[in-house]
Amino acid sequence: MKNILLSIITATSLVLAGSASAAGELHIYNWGNYTNPEMIKKFEAANDIKVTLDSYDSNETMLAKVEQGGSGYDVVVPGDYMIAIMLKKDLLEKVMPNQMSNFKNMDPKWVNVYWDKGRNYSVPYQWGTTSFQVDTTVYKGDINTLKLLYDPPKELQGRINMLNDMNDVINAGLRYLGYPRCNSNKAQLKELNTLLLSAKKHWRTMDYSTIEKLTSKDVDLSQNWNGAAMRARAQRPELEYAYPKEGFTGWMDNVAVLKGAPNVENAKLFMNFMMDPENAAMTSNFARYANGVMGSEKYMEAAMKSAPEIIIPASAPAPEFVPPCDQDVVALYTKIWTNLKK
Amino acid sequence: MAEMTASVAKPVTVKAVDLKHQPGFSVVAWTCLIVLYAPIAVLVLFSFNENRSVALWTRFSFDWYVKAWNNEGIQNAAIISFEVALVAMVASTIMATMAALVTTRTAPYRGLNLAVTIINQPLMVPEIVTAVATLTFFAIIKKATGVTGLGYLIIAHTVFCIPFAYMPIRARLEDMDLSLEQAAADLYAPPLKVFRRITLPLLMPGIMAGAMLAFIVSLDDVIITLFVGGPGETTLPIFILGQIRRGVTPEVNAVSTVFLGFSVVFVTLIFLFGKNKK
Repeated sequence: MKNILLSIITATSLVLAGSASAAGELHIYNWGNYTNPEMIKKFEAANDIKVTLDSYDSNETMLAKVEQGGSGYDVVVPGDYMIAIMLKKDLLEKVMPNQMSNFKNMDPKWVNVYWDKGRNYSVPYQWGTTSFQVDTTVYKGDINTLKLLYDPPKELQGRINMLNDMNDVINAGLRYLGYPRCNSNKAQLKELNTLLLSAKKHWRTMDYSTIEKLTSKDVDLSQNWNGAAMRARAQRPELEYAYPKEGFTGWMDNVAVLKGAPNVENAKLFMNFMMDPENAAMTSNFARYANGVMGSEKYMEAAMKSAPEIIIPASAPAPEFVPPCDQDVVALYTKIWTNLKK
Repeated sequence: MAEMTASVAKPVTVKAVDLKHQPGFSVVAWTCLIVLYAPIAVLVLFSFNENRSVALWTRFSFDWYVKAWNNEGIQNAAIISFEVALVAMVASTIMATMAALVTTRTAPYRGLNLAVTIINQPLMVPEIVTAVATLTFFAIIKKATGVTGLGYLIIAHTVFCIPFAYMPIRARLEDMDLSLEQAAADLYAPPLKVFRRITLPLLMPGIMAGAMLAFIVSLDDVIITLFVGGPGETTLPIFILGQIRRGVTPEVNAVSTVFLGFSVVFVTLIFLFGKNKK
């Protein structure tokens, strides 16, 4: 027993002492499987900074953890609406990326966004769309309509996976009915509730693991993010990503610095680094989404440049970025959602 | 209703009931075994899949093991997981052993039941409550002292591991014959010697079982770790959880299979260890 204890203690101290010593540190907290390790190595080598990378599975997990302060993280990568929420809660450091040297590479259309007007707090990491994907050998008609989700034809009934996400399901439903987002109109929501309940019997599952659902042929249609759709198509070429005429959601994850972060200067270096076209392309090649940095295209893989999931056709409506709704709207949505899920 | 009262009224003499021969026993047993182990078998199977899908079989390969081995995120997470689990196991087992001695080898005292309840508290409070409370508590300490590091996570794990280590140790102590310890004391062995030569060796199987439970529980934990873990403190379950939104690859299956293999070896060793002692 003594020997076991001794060896445990030795092993532990070896591991603890093993961390390399670099001039500085940077603690990044990002979505899982979303950071290119090569890109991190490049950043570490260029700045002599040791990076630690931890992952979360949802915006809300991240928020819960950093809200108390003292989390120790420097950089987080919240979605658009989460940036808005975190700014309201005063959780982000005003690092003025718009004054940084690589800001000139940023696509102007991503500068005056609702969640960070003028970009005083954050820079784009990856952006994409949330729509759905259909097997075109199973359903041969026009796929660019939300009708397929909410009033599906015979061949798709019982073959549908929806995202297990209140906002994605409700917003698509509101678009299908032609009603506005962040809706508190009781009559319209009642109609939405009826629609969802009648559509639900045609849905096989409500699940985030869209790639697995589609490639295992468990379903023939799934709500999906465009990057995931591209991965799913690689294994099931009949899949086609829809750009519904009623509209679809756009989203953007952004690099931001936490208020009171231990390594603010290094975090700023990282922010500027992420606006370099080559580095942004490294992230895109890994995570399979577009990045919002001009000139990054020439470093992207050929498959990315021509992917129908990434390049939005001219005929499609513009993706809609939905701001966080008021508390009372969220309460109404939650009621509908809970009712739908039971 | 009438039949029931009748059967209660008339005492029936039966031989010891053999559970194995009750109707439906084998159906229920097999269902349980299949539900428990079939998913694990599938998980192991797909770790050898050449394709990046965890649901569609193509060809046998070891690619995902190589990839997992070379994945720095997985390496770091595995190291952190084992580090935390080992330290938490040792610390919680020592404390649980002391707690078990204090709650069994003394004359009953006021507050004994209260003490037992407090020791077992982590089993009764929903984990999410402990997690949020610990997060807030540690955040205050971190802000006040500026001290950071893996210590917080280890302390949190140690705390919830204690009842898991405590239960088998206490059960063993309660089963142990007191007369051996009394005999040793009669022969003028000082208390510490009695403990070292009699109580501790007899207690060892309980301690090993408790330590093993603590180790596995720490290795498994998601909720508390998710909240308490700081920068660079991602454990394997947290790492796997983070993958889900962006697509799980058989890499995760490969890691899980290695973990499974590890715990099978662990359990076998403990089993053999226990056997040799007898």
